[in-house]
Order: sequence, then structure tokens, then C-alpha cells
Amino acid sequence: MIIRHRKIEIISRKEFEMIDLTPMVEQFLAETAVANGMVFIMTAHTTSSIVVTEGVECLERDIPLHLERLAPKVPEPGTFGYYHNRMLDFDGRLGFNAGDHLKSVLGGVHAMFAIADGELLKGSRQRVYFVEYDGPLARTVFLQVMGEPAEARA
Amino acid sequence: MKGGIDFHTHPVLAREMVAHHPELEKAARATYFIGNNFQPLEVMLLELDLAGIDKAVVVPVDATTRRNATIYTNEQIVEVCAMSDRLIGFASVDPHQPDAPEKLEHAVGKLELRGLKLSPPMQEFFPDDPLAFPVYEKARALGIPILFHAGMSWQPGSKLKYGHPLRFEDVAASFPGLNIVLAHLAWPWVVDAVALALKYPNIHLDTSALYFDNPVDFLRYAMTQQVPLTVFERSLRKQLIFGSDNPRIETKAMAKAVRSLGLSEECLELVFRANAERLLGGRI
Repeated sequence: MIIRHRKIEIISRKEFEMIDLTPMVEQFLAETAVANGMVFIMTAHTTSSIVVTEGVECLERDIPLHLERLAPKVPEPGTFGYYHNRMLDFDGRLGFNAGDHLKSVLGGVHAMFAIADGELLKGSRQRVYFVEYDGPLARTVFLQVMGEPAEARA
Repeated sequence: MKGGIDFHTHPVLAREMVAHHPELEKAARATYFIGNNFQPLEVMLLELDLAGIDKAVVVPVDATTRRNATIYTNEQIVEVCAMSDRLIGFASVDPHQPDAPEKLEHAVGKLELRGLKLSPPMQEFFPDDPLAFPVYEKARALGIPILFHAGMSWQPGSKLKYGHPLRFEDVAASFPGLNIVLAHLAWPWVVDAVALALKYPNIHLDTSALYFDNPVDFLRYAMTQQVPLTVFERSLRKQLIFGSDNPRIETKAMAKAVRSLGLSEECLELVFRANAERLLGGRI
């Protein structure tokens, strides 16, 4: 059994952004020599998501914008508010990004793929994305692979 | 409105600086009191891009006497400014130190810093205490503005009494040729700060106020309900300056809040660019 971890840093350049992690995950997988097993991808942050969707530019715009409609940064006056909008004494600042935390919950924070014969088992249109809701920021993503090398299967 | 200046930022989260100067981690966490992750300086510049801002004033605080701490030295401000020509460095000196005026002269004359940052609550002095007057006189003689923390303070141990805007009246009256910027709209004493600015043309207010809700809702309260927006639009348009207090408030969020208020484009041009440019001597 092989178990390997990697911590990767990416820098989001916009407030909302979807960054395709698929090449990084595939490269990590290739370097670990795992032929059969699982790979796990998780964001280290609570105002971002890991999502799997089709790799097209239109969806890269639609997904964060729709989540913003569901959990807006600043709700329309007179509608609702967030308890998180308060002084966070452990952070030394106000928490006024409750909507971004909620988008993270809605989008999810991790993804997992099976590995077979050294390849990610995913649909032909599926890509795995880091989704930024509060950029620009330097962000960390955790990768972990678990499985057996090719010779073990043979 | 094109470009602009964020007149109030603290570079405390710059990862490169913490790597070079490990003591800056304590300065950020314990003295400045911020828990956010350290970030590459590139992120701050990206955020300026997102906010439509060209340049940012970066400030230190010298609280050596009362807290045995600095949040960046003047030399460290020079170092971070060397990493990007989009940063404009200010100095800080400790008014309790007798050689503070000479240190300020060195910071401006030799280090080429462009203004002075003082935080009466952190440095523990009343703005109208004569002990600080030699520093004010030196700033006036050097032709640099002073950015004062005013109003409420988040840092533990910082007393609100040092930030009341009326404690700045003697300074404004005694140094009419000194440009003074009161940060954070001096909240909660916005009405007092506005009264001071209406009376003294050398008093300016920066927008970096956020004490509850979110920047949009907070500024709407402070600048349309505590004081009518027309006062800023008509009477204080040349004395209101965009500042974010980044990283306590992201530049992008404060810029969005200021632009949401309903100020005219002409007024926004003054607030985001022209007023700061004038205080910086026409050079940005």
C-alpha cells in the first residue's frame, strides 16, 4: 500500500475564479506510481470549494455566480443578514464574508476519484476545480493518494 | 474615475517580509492583532487591481516606549516598498522619544518616506499632548501629511480615549499648515470628526471604517445616517480620502462600499485620487 500526500499552493487572481486542478492531480498521481486506489482532493479553506464539473468557460462563470445568488456577499437591504458579520476576536477583524463561507458549504470542499491502471476514473468531460469565492488569495489544496503499485496488482 | 490611491494599508501579512524578518510574525499577531494567513505581496497588488486602485500607502507603527514593539520599522517599510513601485511608504516615530523629530527627518530626508503614521491608542499619547508637538512641527516643516488612527481601536490594550477626534482640535488649530488625516472616520465619533473637518480645512477623514455588519452597510450608516451624504459631497469633498485599512478590511471591499454610497463621479475622483495626490505633494 502506498500513501502519499502533497500540499499545493495556487494563487487566485480574481474575486470569483475556477481553477482547473486536473493536470496537477494527474501529475501527482503519475509521480506516486499508484496504479490502483483512490485520490482525494481537499481545499484547506472555508471560503472556497472543490467541485467536479464540465471543463467549459461558460460553466466556470455560471457556477460561482449562481452560488453568489444563493448566498450573496451583501444581501439586499431588508431581506436577511448574517450572524457572522461581527467582530471576530480571534482574527482581529470583522467577519463580513459569511456569504463566501456559505458558498463553500454549498459547493463542497473535497472530491475523490478512483484510480485504475494508473488513470483517474472520471467521465470524459469531468474536470476537478478549485473554486475561489473571496480572491485574490494564495490558497492551499491538499492531495492524498492511497493504493497499490502496478506490480502489486499483477 | 480612473485609478486611485488606497491611503491606509498595513503590509503586515506580506509573507516575503516575514520570511526575512521573523519578528514580524509577532508584530502581526500580537501587536497589530490580525489572524489572517500571510500572503505573497503579489496578492495585495492583485487586490489593488481588482479594486481599480493604482497605488497604496503602507504604514508602520512605532510603539517602542509603551509596547516595546514596532509594526514594521521605517527601514522595513523601505524594504517592502522596494518590492513594488505601487507602494508609497510612510514613516512612524514614537512621540515619547525625545529624538522623534530627528528620526522623522531622517525617514523623510534619507529614506524618502512620504508621510507620518501615528496611532495615539497604540502609542498611548493624547494627540493634543504637547509632548508630540515637536513631531507635528517637524512634519509641517517637511511638508508631509500625518495619518492618525482615530476613533475605536481593535487592538487589546488600546484605549478609545486616545482616539477621540476633539483631542485633535488643538493640533489642527496650532498647525494650520499641517495636513492631518483622521482614519476610520473617527468612528463612533463621526459627527465630531465631521464638525472638526468642517471647521479646519487641514483636517481630512479617511473612509477605512468598519465596526459592524459589512463595508457597504456600515458606510451607508456612517455616511448617510450618522451624517448626511450631502455633507461629504458638498462640504468635505476635498477632505475625504479613500483608505481601506487593509488587511483588516480588504481594499476591494472598501472600494465597493465607497462607490456604492451615491457620491458623484466628480467627488469620487477627489476621494479616490486627487485628494491623496495633493497631500502627497502632487507626486504619486
